Amino acid sequence: MIPALQRVARSLGVLLVVVGLTFAIFYVAPIDPALQMCGKPCSPEDLEAARGFMGFDQPWWVQLATFLGAILTGRTFGSADVVVECAAPCLGYSFQLHQSVTELVADRFPVSFSIAIGAVALQALVGIAAGALAARRQGGLLDRAVTGVSVIAASAPAFVVGLLVVVVFALRLGLLPSGGYVPFSEDPLQWARHLVLPWATLAFLNGAIYARLVRSSMIEQLGLDYVRTARASGLPERRIDRYALRNLALPLTTLIALDIGALLGGTVITERIFGQPGLGALLLDATSTADLPVIVGTTLVGSLLIVLANLGADLARPLLDRRLAAGGGAPRGPAARTVPSDQNPQETAS
Amino acid sequence: MTSASFTRRGVLVATPVVLATGALAACSTGGSSGGSGSDGGGESGGTLTIYSTGEEMSFDPASSQNLAITTLGLTARRLTAWKTAAGAPTELIPDLATDVGTASDDGATWTFTLQEGLQFEDGTPITAATIKYGLERSFASELTGGLTYHKVLLEGGADYSGPFSGEHLDSIEAPDDLTLVFHLNRPYGDFGWIASTPAFAPVPEDSGEPETYATEPVTSGPYRLESYAPGSRAVLVRNENWDPDTDEARTGGPDRIEFALAQDASVVAQSIIADRTDAQASFLSSFVPTAQLVQAQNDPNVGDRLVTSGPGALEYLALNTESEALQDVAVRRAIQYAVDKQAYLTAKGGEISGEYATTLITPGIAGREEYSLYADDPAGDPDEATRLLEEAGAGELDLRLVITDDQTGAAEAIQQGLARAGITVTIQPLDENAYSSEVTAGDGTGYDLVLSSWQPDVPSPNANLTPLFDSSQIGGGNYNLARFEDPEVDEAILEASSTVDPDEAHAKWAAVDRQILEQSPVVPLIYSKNSFLHGSGVENFVIGEFPAYPNYLTVTLNA
Repeated sequence: MIPALQRVARSLGVLLVVVGLTFAIFYVAPIDPALQMCGKPCSPEDLEAARGFMGFDQPWWVQLATFLGAILTGRTFGSADVVVECAAPCLGYSFQLHQSVTELVADRFPVSFSIAIGAVALQALVGIAAGALAARRQGGLLDRAVTGVSVIAASAPAFVVGLLVVVVFALRLGLLPSGGYVPFSEDPLQWARHLVLPWATLAFLNGAIYARLVRSSMIEQLGLDYVRTARASGLPERRIDRYALRNLALPLTTLIALDIGALLGGTVITERIFGQPGLGALLLDATSTADLPVIVGTTLVGSLLIVLANLGADLARPLLDRRLAAGGGAPRGPAARTVPSDQNPQETAS
Repeated sequence: MTSASFTRRGVLVATPVVLATGALAACSTGGSSGGSGSDGGGESGGTLTIYSTGEEMSFDPASSQNLAITTLGLTARRLTAWKTAAGAPTELIPDLATDVGTASDDGATWTFTLQEGLQFEDGTPITAATIKYGLERSFASELTGGLTYHKVLLEGGADYSGPFSGEHLDSIEAPDDLTLVFHLNRPYGDFGWIASTPAFAPVPEDSGEPETYATEPVTSGPYRLESYAPGSRAVLVRNENWDPDTDEARTGGPDRIEFALAQDASVVAQSIIADRTDAQASFLSSFVPTAQLVQAQNDPNVGDRLVTSGPGALEYLALNTESEALQDVAVRRAIQYAVDKQAYLTAKGGEISGEYATTLITPGIAGREEYSLYADDPAGDPDEATRLLEEAGAGELDLRLVITDDQTGAAEAIQQGLARAGITVTIQPLDENAYSSEVTAGDGTGYDLVLSSWQPDVPSPNANLTPLFDSSQIGGGNYNLARFEDPEVDEAILEASSTVDPDEAHAKWAAVDRQILEQSPVVPLIYSKNSFLHGSGVENFVIGEFPAYPNYLTVTLNA
């Protein structure tokens, strides 16, 4: 259990660094939140008052301490008769939206969660199946098709694929709604109907990575001695496939965990194109209105989810690989992804 | 709010429509034809959908920069309102008041009388006290961000910080339920227009916590807010206590108005172009994206559902008068001749995107006089520019042009134009926020030239000229981007803005327009046009001469 504790401690360290870096956005970003709130025209007195009210007139270390403290104990903006409360865990307060960032994030999270769960399930299923089939028929028509499509999918910009999907399936064929979100609790069927297109788009874009990973690893596995031995001893091919796939469990779990983490943090382009009010859309809107507290808060939550996903994958490793549980050496595999995004360079998660 | 031929900067900053509520923002249409559908009349009933790219909405007048004819006008009446009609200047008309205000004390005191029997959505009476309270709220620190023209005018406003601590602003008097008297710190001719800005909407004193009012407003307009899901949808339904007989500005056509939020403009535009069933009773509040604009123009099925405004916001090149290279007025005048407005307009999308500009007061605003001080040919006169530069002994000019990153094409047109007169221009594209910090909030050392645009918040020459050229508007987030400081101009602006008689004021403003341009702090480039799309079920989608946005308050659906 000691390594597990070490991993948790390391994740906490990463989180602290992330908090520090995120907070630095307040200073590095060319945005003055007080200016955003100053009204039009903006008088110097109003600007000063806004700075004071939002706490931006304090030295940076005081602000950082207040920011960190607010996550634990909440915070009050303003003084005397005019105050705005931000309950713990306070990730900041949007003076443009008159709402705490924590509330905003909580409102949007179910949407990003819905997108992430379906998309990851679909992309893993389709990607793994396609990769395995392609590996089985290496050099054949199916293999070439899978390889070709996965190259296109991995290189296609998300906004192009998303727009095409909307135009064809929603606008031309009218099969599915072009956008909008219906909560699961309200109508599960409509919830799924509204999410099919975003799921399919993300699965297409990201499934390619799974297909390529599974294909190449399977080909490698199928060339190993144990497979030859198994074949020689008359084991059915289907059973051999299962063994080979089982050996991919570790890298695939890591990949899936990281994808979940990244997608939960919001998919900016997909959410925007399909009119899904998730964390990505919130971040995008905050960027365009220069709502700094929201930018900082959503970035923080996105990072937290990725760190948690990483930690989850790390902790799950020994369960998937007995050698690790027994304290053996680390397995080598293609799982070491360093860029936690939803795979497509154009579709970066927050 | 970021789009089409208009710079995002223009939408987000220079126009009043934007800010936090995307839905309120960036919605403009206009038709050279003044919009589609018949004028006046129109059917009542149905559900109108307004597609917005914004994620959130706020219905709090205190922090709103909405134009009088867009979203907030559906829920919040003010003392005065605007009457827009295709091909006619926008008129100031009474809204809650019986007239557009009576000036006394040379224009330093303004009196309004409310109509009798007006009610909020909950049936409580709209009184002078509720308007006073609404205005006082706009002074509170937690409700800033709206239009604040009244704050600098009302006596004692500078030291007042809102009603939540129990203090009131004495310069707003409500001697009885129907009378409001405003005491200004100086004569101000346009106070009637100022009274149409959002903060002049009534707010009941028992309306709850200030920060929740944005999503739980007590409305006075034809609609009340039934439900609101941020990032998703806001639904307005009829306010049964709104009396159409008391309202000249609103027709209250649709029974229900749904704002579909967080929409992708391209996707929505495609839907409307195809006139899909679910898009027929709808319009897109933001400008039509460039690709769909071309598509819509070439699609015979779209026809007059594509509505393009007349010439509106002024797009201009600001010349930083504090910059060493541009302190000499002769050099600034030379730039007027060197600029190629023809190339600029082409870069912005051609004729559908604007008309050449030569004045500072924009078309559709009463008092505007058409004139041209410099090159009559939109392509400019580089020879004259070269001559003026030589005469001024300007030497080598190497200027830094700061733009938002969506303006590259237009900036190159400026660069090439000035190159004809031997002026080197280095283009520096900045992300919108960086632009804002460097240009509107910076100290002026970061740029020589800037591309920007301006649409006044109210249809008065004052709103064209004061924000861009009064010396009090330099830096600190304000829009005197040329950092132009001329005591004579300041005085002329003060004099014109203090004049109550409209004709007299108009003549003075027209003179100020010339007086400023003689000093050449900016080069007027084009008056931009905005294009909008609506479905076949929408009628009375009208864009007046000002602003270059559709009037939401009079849109109806056909039977």
